[in-house]
Amino acid sequence: MRWLNDIGYRVRALFGRKAMERELEDEISFHLEMEARKLEARGMSPVEARRMAAVKFGGADRFKEQARASWGVAAVTDVGADLRFARRQLGRHPAFTAMATLTLALGIGGTVALFSVVDGLLLRPLPVQDEDDVMVFWSPYNWRAIEFDFARGRLPSFDALEAFTNEGFTLRTDEGSSLHLATLATAELFDVLGTQPLVGRTFLPEDDRPGAEPVIVLSHGLWQQAFGGDPGVVGTRIDVSGRPTTVVGVMPRGFYFPTPEMRAWIPLEMDPESESYQNNGWLALTGRLGAGAPPARVQADLEAFTAALRERWTYNPSFDKTRNPVLTPLREYVMGDVRPLVLLLLGAVGVVLLMACVNVAALLLAKASDRTGEMAVRAALGAGRLRLSRQMLTESVVLGIVGGAVGVGLAVAAFDLLVAALPLPSGLSDVISLDWSALAAGLVLSVGAGAMVALAPMRRLLRGDLSDGALGSRRQAGLAGGGTRTQKGLVVAEVLLCVVLTTGAALLVRTVDRIRDLDAGVEPKGMSSVDVFLPVNAMDEEERARFFRVLVERVEALPGVTAAGLINRLPVRDGGWQGSVTVEDRPDLNEDGRRPSAYWRPVTPGTFRSLGARVVQGRGIEDGDRQGATAVVVVNQAFARSLWGDGDPLGRRVATYFSRGEYAQVVGVVADVAIEGLTGEVPPTLYVPWDQGLRSSEYGILTVRTDGDVDAFLSAARSVVAEVDPRAAVGRMVSMTAVMDDAMAEPLRLRFFLSIFAALGIVLGTVGIYGVVSYSVQRRRGEFGVRMALGAEPRRLLAQVVRDGMTPVLLGVAGGLGVALVASATLERFLYEVAPTDIGALAAAAGVLTVAGLLAAMVPAWRAGRTEPSAALRGE
Amino acid sequence: MGKSQPEMIRGTLDMLILKVLSLEPMHGWGIGERIQDISRDTLQVNQGSLYPALHRLTREGWIRSEWRVTDNNRKARYYVLTRAGEKQLGLERETWARLSQGVARILATG
Repeated sequence: MRWLNDIGYRVRALFGRKAMERELEDEISFHLEMEARKLEARGMSPVEARRMAAVKFGGADRFKEQARASWGVAAVTDVGADLRFARRQLGRHPAFTAMATLTLALGIGGTVALFSVVDGLLLRPLPVQDEDDVMVFWSPYNWRAIEFDFARGRLPSFDALEAFTNEGFTLRTDEGSSLHLATLATAELFDVLGTQPLVGRTFLPEDDRPGAEPVIVLSHGLWQQAFGGDPGVVGTRIDVSGRPTTVVGVMPRGFYFPTPEMRAWIPLEMDPESESYQNNGWLALTGRLGAGAPPARVQADLEAFTAALRERWTYNPSFDKTRNPVLTPLREYVMGDVRPLVLLLLGAVGVVLLMACVNVAALLLAKASDRTGEMAVRAALGAGRLRLSRQMLTESVVLGIVGGAVGVGLAVAAFDLLVAALPLPSGLSDVISLDWSALAAGLVLSVGAGAMVALAPMRRLLRGDLSDGALGSRRQAGLAGGGTRTQKGLVVAEVLLCVVLTTGAALLVRTVDRIRDLDAGVEPKGMSSVDVFLPVNAMDEEERARFFRVLVERVEALPGVTAAGLINRLPVRDGGWQGSVTVEDRPDLNEDGRRPSAYWRPVTPGTFRSLGARVVQGRGIEDGDRQGATAVVVVNQAFARSLWGDGDPLGRRVATYFSRGEYAQVVGVVADVAIEGLTGEVPPTLYVPWDQGLRSSEYGILTVRTDGDVDAFLSAARSVVAEVDPRAAVGRMVSMTAVMDDAMAEPLRLRFFLSIFAALGIVLGTVGIYGVVSYSVQRRRGEFGVRMALGAEPRRLLAQVVRDGMTPVLLGVAGGLGVALVASATLERFLYEVAPTDIGALAAAAGVLTVAGLLAAMVPAWRAGRTEPSAALRGE
Repeated sequence: MGKSQPEMIRGTLDMLILKVLSLEPMHGWGIGERIQDISRDTLQVNQGSLYPALHRLTREGWIRSEWRVTDNNRKARYYVLTRAGEKQLGLERETWARLSQGVARILATG
């Protein structure tokens, strides 16, 4: 029953504390009284006896403290006292507290937010069973259906092999038409993934057979958005791209494949009779590895398979699937590209947090030295050294938690902004959220940061001789302490980290400048584009051709619009539509493997003008280039150069896979327009008249040049399209400037974040240096006074202070440059025509930090130079 | 500061308190005096350290305290040995006997 007694006692100590305190008080005074009486009986005077009794008892307060400690609740009650004390301390220095809190808040908030991003993208399991076994094949979206059927049955180490591809579809409901992306997949895809539907079923084996009843499986998001989450929609028919399609099931919330932007799944019809079965290389292959398939056997399977492929088909070197067979785990396939980016940012924000801690530690240390006197007095009054350092720890942990709370608040408030600002592949941002694990991480970070911050001052407290502080003057105590060396060490660390961050930011600034300087071949200002889709099954070819012709005419007539046209793929944004080319006067290239490949872009007469593309020779596409007229083509400079060198391209003839081998005459050359992305060489491209190429397309991108506001046009675009035909759906509507920014999203956003971090780092560093220098100046005020009185020149004092202050700064800069040389290698994949060891960037970082350090040291130094000798000597 | 007197061996104070209280309930000052008297002044109890020990023993449940009126009509906190305390005293006494025998044997050798 001892423990019961023990607990009862402790409970009383906690809750009946007042009474216990009073009893302890009474008990001790009774003791002193008895002792004094005894001494009096031996002949001492009453006064003397009382004094002796007290001396014999020793420091009553210390023993009271020990007695209290024996109540076994000290840990609790002391924390309470420490907390109250910490609050008073922090409240007494509002500037310091605000600075420290904000610093920690930014560091912790940023780290928590980015941790959530990393958690959502890299740590949380995919919505798929045993994700490690699900593999995506090499050359995604390049496989033909015939190759896929060829592969099936040739890869025994896989339990199942499925094909999928992505396609836009228009969904027509009572509220109008909307455009979504769907994944077309062979029937057993869901068996490979192993995910059960929320409502209804997934595909049946016969769903992908030719002529099967059209069915669709909805994502949770689309189900909610378009059908209000009504389970009754399962089993009904909806209008998918103009075709009545039965909804057979809804997937659970959080499920996605292959990326979160896919809103539905439709069976991929595998019809060996169709032309696309043979020719269209648009499929990605995925499969589930059989349980316990050893890697060596998988590898052997793959080699046997590629050998068989090679035997069956001859591959153009640029599309050779047999060359490098690699399986990518599903996670890497979905997230692969973002991993280095988010890890880099997490690392950078971690550095900021580290700097924040170092900074607060330096400030706290300065403050701690100022409190040497206070500490000494309290030690003399019987406060244990451990007790004192615990108090210091409490103070900084409180600081850390307050900072953490503010930081988590910031993270919550700004999380959506942050995610929007990250260059994530579209759709991925939907799988990220700030959840409890992030908040837990925030708490751990807060306490950790607080504890870390307290380390330096605590070490000093435990090491230093406290009694000296009470005996000597505060000034001496300060000089005697080893505080300044630690502080200088902290400055070195801070500057070092800051140089690394700043170098990173500078590298990205230069990269973005390089990319900005590139000529994309278009004039982005004033240009915008709208993706337009027609329900393919509900309109015949003539209707579709008429729709697009009328649409362009209507848009051209709008006020403010100076040019409008159509194209099948938007420059800078979209690849695709690449095919082999036959060149009439180069029969040497007509062998199967040697045929050149080029991008194919049908355009209308207004397209070049609306893009701002420059015709450099001959003419562009004109009104007369209609269906039935002479087939013409405009080539880009890259095409002309690669085929004919300096020879005149005009009048030569080329045929493409897309024109079914029919020759077209080259009538003009256009300056290179970027195809996909801004960097890299522009590939050979052919521009053909829309009427001769894609006349009956159900899909087109409207390109528009306005002399007025781009946004004004974009906001009107939807209704213009609906006016021409309400069945048409509008997809992406973007300004070309946005497309350009998107194309360099990674370096741009990375520049944005690293610049913020670096700026934050510089502010932190400057404050840190300023704090340390001004603190040392303040402490040496007396010394300066004496030297001034002895005739020292103010200028020399100033120089000395600056020199002292700059030593750790320069050390930090040197160290930082060294670290940056190594660390910047992690940035390499984000840089463009800038080496990670770029001298300019390193010099900029070193320069910025040196100047910032100089300024931070100058202000207190200047104050030192103006020390009034008499005041300094009179004062403490 | 009484350097000539042997320092109280750590842990023995508890035992001495229990022993004194096994004779009769006593207040803090009285316990200190009693230890000193019985040991014929060889043991000096550091007066202040007496109270932490008393409170600790109370927490352990070996002694309990009650407020009583002293002979000269003064309210004081008396400590009383509990049953658990008696048992504990027995244990400590055994331990002490073994310990002192051991020490004595070591000192006796050469």
